[in-house]
Amino acid sequence: MSNQSNPHELGDADFHSTVHSFEFWFEAVEGYLHGRPYGVSPSTKDVELDERQREGLITTLCNYCVGETAALEASSGMIRFAPDRHAKIFLSTQVVDEGRHLEVLLHRMAQLGVAEPEAEIEKRANRSLLKFKDRLLDFVDARDWEASVLAQNVILECLEFTVFRHHSGTADPVTADMLRGIVSDERRHMGFGENDLGRRLLMAPHTHDRLHKIKRELDTLVLDTFEETLGELGVDRAERPDLAGDYLAAVARLGFRS
Amino acid sequence: MTDPLETERPVQERKPRRSFELEETGFNEVPKRFRKFYRRWRGPGDTLGPNEALCPVCKVVIRSVKELRAGDRVYCMPCMSRLELVEEDGMLLAKVIY
Repeated sequence: MSNQSNPHELGDADFHSTVHSFEFWFEAVEGYLHGRPYGVSPSTKDVELDERQREGLITTLCNYCVGETAALEASSGMIRFAPDRHAKIFLSTQVVDEGRHLEVLLHRMAQLGVAEPEAEIEKRANRSLLKFKDRLLDFVDARDWEASVLAQNVILECLEFTVFRHHSGTADPVTADMLRGIVSDERRHMGFGENDLGRRLLMAPHTHDRLHKIKRELDTLVLDTFEETLGELGVDRAERPDLAGDYLAAVARLGFRS
Repeated sequence: MTDPLETERPVQERKPRRSFELEETGFNEVPKRFRKFYRRWRGPGDTLGPNEALCPVCKVVIRSVKELRAGDRVYCMPCMSRLELVEEDGMLLAKVIY
């Protein structure tokens, strides 16, 4: 008999159904969100930012809000045409995660003195990221599962995972704490995308060429967004995290070469 | 005459696997009962133990109660990936199985 507390002894079907459940999600997020209002430990002390740092952080948070709103709108729309119940249940947990991300980012902006976040987002949002959001929602409107998963759970989540992870290492303590909680969620979103698409490409290799064209189209938008965000954060070119390392490795595992 | 390559491999495989007692590592991104099977990767200075593998998808360290060897399958719960261990250039690497 297998030991149900040892994950490596689960059968494939049990593993798949366990990790795609709301129950798993609930117990997982409890570990890193319980007792942390807006994703931040009450013992984390805020520090004063100078005007340049504050402005840079607000612009960055505005762009994070665009990304999270895109994922919130897309993941909720995808539930309707998700191919099976595991995917539907998983996406319902992703919707909750994305809604929470948007809320904590807006809360942080309010702490930084932003009175009208919608107006700031409109003013400061990166044009490439807005175009990316439009394309993602086009795929969702067309009920194109493979393209939606590629754009959202592989490309967008990989971008967010890399940027948030790097930013959490350099940000002020409150922003860093908030970002670490988001990164923990992004692991699931990114893993879902790669694994779902990986299985689909094995079953339907003919979809590869179509998805490769979409990837090429979105690559420019993603890389532009990445460069601009790191510029806003004041990260020196030589010290920028290797998006290519994370992103290109993920798409290479799926069989996409640039 | 026996080919030395044929005799060396079975000797290696016969070596019993070491067992490991897993302690909590502070990893908190999966349900409590599974937490000791994972830990955070601490960056370039970090090293993997004989019962550990790095998930290529989410960069979390996967831990096992047994020494890991090529051909073993493990699960990364934080990113929901199934992985198989393969040996490349004398190193044990985790590859995603879709």
